[in-house]
Amino acid sequence: MMEVREQRSELIQRIPRLRLAFSILLVLIGSCYWFVQVVQGGYYRELADNNRLNKVPINAPRGLIFDRHQRRLVDNVPSYDLLLDRSLASNLDASLDFATGILARPRTDLEQALASSRNSSQFAPVLIAESLSLSQVARFSAERLEHPEFDIDVGHLRVYRHGPLTAHLLGYLGEVTREDLVAEGSSYEPGDLAGKRGIELAFEKNLRGTDGERVVVVDSRGRPRSEYGSTLASPGTDVELTLDLELQQEAARYFENRVGSAVVLDPRNGDILVMVSAPSYNPNGFARRLDRSEWQALVEAPHNPLQNRALQNTHSPGSLFKIVVATAGLSEGVVDRSDSVFCGGSTTIYNRRFRCWKRSGHGWMRLREAIKESCDVYFYHLGQKLGISRIAEFARRFGLGERTGVPIAGEKQGLVPDLDWSLRVRGSTWYPGETISVAIGQGPLLATPLQIASMMAIVANGGLKMVPRLDRNAPVPAPVALPLDRAALETVREALWAVVNEKGTGASARVEGVDIAGKTGTVQVIEQKSWIDSEDLPFEHRDHAWFASFAPADHPELVVVVFVEHGGKGSRVAAPLAKILYERYFDNRGANRPS
Amino acid sequence: MRDTSTIAALTGLPEERTFLRTLADVRWGVLIAALLLSVAGLLTVHSASAEMDVDYLPRHALRLALGLLVCAIGFSIDYQVLTKFSVPIYLGGMGLLVLVLFVGRIAGGARSWLGVGSAQIQPSDVAKIATVLLLARYLAGINSRHLELRHISVALLAVLAPMVLVALEPDLGGAAMLVPPVAGMLLIAGVRWRVMVAGGLVAIVVGLGVWNFVMLDYQRQRVKTFVSPQSEPLGAGYQLRQSKIAVGSGQLTGRGYMQGTQSQLRFLPARHTDFIFAVLAEEWGFLGVAIVLALYGLFVSNGVIVALRSRDRKAMLLVVGLLSGFAFHVLYNTAMVVGLLPITGIPLPFLSYGGSFMLSNFFLTGLILGIDFRRYVNR
Repeated sequence: MMEVREQRSELIQRIPRLRLAFSILLVLIGSCYWFVQVVQGGYYRELADNNRLNKVPINAPRGLIFDRHQRRLVDNVPSYDLLLDRSLASNLDASLDFATGILARPRTDLEQALASSRNSSQFAPVLIAESLSLSQVARFSAERLEHPEFDIDVGHLRVYRHGPLTAHLLGYLGEVTREDLVAEGSSYEPGDLAGKRGIELAFEKNLRGTDGERVVVVDSRGRPRSEYGSTLASPGTDVELTLDLELQQEAARYFENRVGSAVVLDPRNGDILVMVSAPSYNPNGFARRLDRSEWQALVEAPHNPLQNRALQNTHSPGSLFKIVVATAGLSEGVVDRSDSVFCGGSTTIYNRRFRCWKRSGHGWMRLREAIKESCDVYFYHLGQKLGISRIAEFARRFGLGERTGVPIAGEKQGLVPDLDWSLRVRGSTWYPGETISVAIGQGPLLATPLQIASMMAIVANGGLKMVPRLDRNAPVPAPVALPLDRAALETVREALWAVVNEKGTGASARVEGVDIAGKTGTVQVIEQKSWIDSEDLPFEHRDHAWFASFAPADHPELVVVVFVEHGGKGSRVAAPLAKILYERYFDNRGANRPS
Repeated sequence: MRDTSTIAALTGLPEERTFLRTLADVRWGVLIAALLLSVAGLLTVHSASAEMDVDYLPRHALRLALGLLVCAIGFSIDYQVLTKFSVPIYLGGMGLLVLVLFVGRIAGGARSWLGVGSAQIQPSDVAKIATVLLLARYLAGINSRHLELRHISVALLAVLAPMVLVALEPDLGGAAMLVPPVAGMLLIAGVRWRVMVAGGLVAIVVGLGVWNFVMLDYQRQRVKTFVSPQSEPLGAGYQLRQSKIAVGSGQLTGRGYMQGTQSQLRFLPARHTDFIFAVLAEEWGFLGVAIVLALYGLFVSNGVIVALRSRDRKAMLLVVGLLSGFAFHVLYNTAMVVGLLPITGIPLPFLSYGGSFMLSNFFLTGLILGIDFRRYVNR
C-alpha cells in the first residue's frame, strides 16, 4: 500500500521538538506565576486591599459658640453638595447640561469647579456645586438611575445666626491652606475647613474636634459594599463667650449708619461684653468658598468692612489722653489738685501759640475742672512740666503702645511716641513742642478702642490691669497691680464723674440713678477753622468722636468705649451710645441697680 | 457480525475482536484533562459571574454538555473521511467568513459572530479547523524530507485567505490564531533552516506593515500599553494592572473560592472570558495555577503521543496542527494574564466562557481521540 512508503520518521523526530518547546514555555509561564504569586504576592495582596478599602472621613461637628447668657450664635446646618464622578459619566457634556438645568446656575461655574480638580484621580468624585436646596437634592436623587455620576454629599455648613452683628468677633471658616496642611503635627486633610479669623481662628483647637473615619469595602466603581471598620468622630468643644448679645445688638443698631466701633468690658475680670465694628459684612456669604468677585467687592468696599476696628484701627486718643497726663501729673507730684492755671483760649509755649478748643477760654482751671471741661491750656502746661518721657512712661503703664492680649489675631499695638522712638523711627530728635500736642492726645500718639477700654478699666479698677478676655470658661488671670498712685486715680475718677454728672463735656451720657464717669474726645482730622462745625464738613473731613467711660463710678462694673469715625464731637455723637448701653445694662440688672 | 461490520464500514471502526481492547488503549488522558479543566472552568465561571447581572454557570454548563456531544461526534467521524472532504469543508468555512462580514453580529468592535436566535458561532473557529484539515491533506501528500518553497507558498496561501477575511471583521487576534496550527504543521512537515530564517525576515516586514497600515489605533494602543502600562491607566493598562493584582494577591494558596476581591468587587474586566485564569489564580493561588497548567501539559503530551503513534502522515499533521493551535491559546492566554504579553482577545481553552470556542475545543479533542482509536485500521 502507498501508506507503507510514507516518510514518517522525520515527522516522528520533529514532533518531540515542538513538545519540548511547549513544555519549556509552559514551565516558564508557570515560574512567572510563581514569581508574581509567591515571591511578590504580599505586594499584590496589599494592592488588592488598597483597591477595595476606601477611607471616608467622618467630619466632627464643630463646637458651637454661645454668648454669656447661653444664647447660641452659630449653627451647624446640614448642607448638600453635588459631587460628580467622572468615571461614571458616559457623556460629561450631557451630564453638565443636566446639572445646569436643575441648579439654575451658570454652566461655567460647574466647568470651573471641574477644571480646578482636573489633576485629582479620575475615580475621586469632584465637588462641583455647593449648598443645594432640598428640592434640587430630590431631583438629583430621582434621576439617580439615569445619571449615576451625580452624588449628594451631606456636609455641615457654619451659619452665623446674627450675620454681620458678630462677624468681626466670630470670624469665619475657610478651606485649610497649604501651610496648615504641612504644619508640624497638622491633622488637616485637604479640603478641611478651619477658622480663618476671630473666635473661629482663636479657638480652632477647641472648636474643631477630632474627625472620625469610616473604612468601607468598595467595588471597582467606588460603590460601598460593606463596612470594614470605623472610628467615631468626637465633636468639637463649645465655646461660651463673655459677649452679651443684647448689648451687642444695641450697639450695632447705633452704628447702622455710622462708621466706628464700640467696646464694652467688665473691669472686674476683663470680660468683653460688646465688640462692635461698623461697617460689617455677612460672614454667611462665604461660609465655605468665597466667590472671587464677592471677595474683591468686600476688599474694595468703602470703610473696609473686613477690618475689626475695635482692635485693628488706631487713632489719636485725643482728649481721652488727658486721663493719662492728669494721673502722671498727680503721681509725679508735678501738680496738686488745687493748683490752677488760667485759660484765656490759648497759650504760648516755646514761642508757639497753642489754642484751647474753647476760643473764649475757660478762665482759672484746677485739675478737676480742666478734666471736666477738657481744657487744653491746662494740659499744655502740665505736659510741658512732665516732659515726653514721663508722659510716655505713664501711657505705657496704662497699656498704650502694646497689645492688650485679647485672644483675637491681628490686634494692633498703637504707638506711644518718645525721644527714643523719634530717633529710631523718624531719625530725628523729639521737639519739645510736640510734647505739648501729645499732652492733649494729638501728635503721633495712636491707640485702638480696645486699648482705650483697657486703659479705662485700669482707671476704674484703681490701677489693676486685667487682660481682656472672650472665653467665659477660661480662668480669670490674676490682675496685675500697676505702679500707679491710688490717690491720683481716685482724683481722676472723681473728675471723670463730674464730666458726665456736672454738666461737663460728657453730660449727654448721663443716666438717672447711675454714676457714670467718662471722658469725651474729639480728634481733628484736618486743620480747620474752629468756627466751622465739623458736622457740616464733608464726611471724610469731619472729626472723630470718642467717648470712654465706666460705671458705677465707685464700684465699676462696666467700661464703655465708643469711637465714631468722622462722627463730629465726642460729646454729641459718641456719648449717647454709651448712655444707651448703660441704660440697657442697668435695666437688665434690675434688682441690683444702685439707687 | 453483520451489524458490526456495517458499523465498521460506516465509521472505519476496527473488527469487533479488537474493539474493546482498542477502545481501552485510546489515550483517554486527553479527555480526562479536558473534563477536569472543564470542571475548573465551570467553578470559575460561576465565581467570576457571581457579581454580574446574569450567572453564566447554567449557560456554561449547557455548552459543556453540548461540547461533550460535539466531542463524541468528533470521535465518531473518521478523519480520513474528513480530510477527503477537506476542500468542500474549507470552502464552506470561507463562505461562512464571507457571510459573517455582511450579516454577522458585532461584538467587541468586530463583526465576528453568526447567529440564529440565541445560538451563535464564530466562523473563524470553523475556518481554523477547516484550514488544518485542508493543510493536513495537502502536506501529507508531499512525501519528502523537506517542503519545497512552492509547497510552503501554497500552504501559506491556503491560510492567508481565511486570515484576510477574519482580519476584515476586523478581528486581528482571531486572524493571528490561524498562524500557530499552520506553523506547527509546516515545522514538522519539514522547513529548511534557510527558509525559516527568510520566513522570519518576511514576517518582520509584514509585521511592520500590519502595524503601520492595517492595525487600528486601539490595537496599536494595546501593544503600546503593554510596553508601558502607565501610559493608559484606565484602558488596557488598567486591565493589565488589575489582572496582575488579582494573580499576585492569590499568593500560594489563594483567597478562597468566591473570595477574590479583584473579581468579586468587579475590579477585573473580562473576568469570565479572557481573564478567567486571573480569577482562578486569585481564588486558588499558585497551587491552583500549577494544577491547571499541569492539566494542559497532560492534554498536550497525551495528544503528542497520539500524533507519534498515529498510523499516517495525515493523522500526524492533523493532530499536530490542532494541538499547536490549542497550545498557543493556552500559552498566550496564561502569559497575557500574568502580564507577559500584550492583551488581545484570546480565550483560554475549556475555562473561558464562550460557546463557539468551547465547542471547537471539544471537537478537536474528539478528533484526536478518534485518530488514536483508528490507529490500527488497515494496518
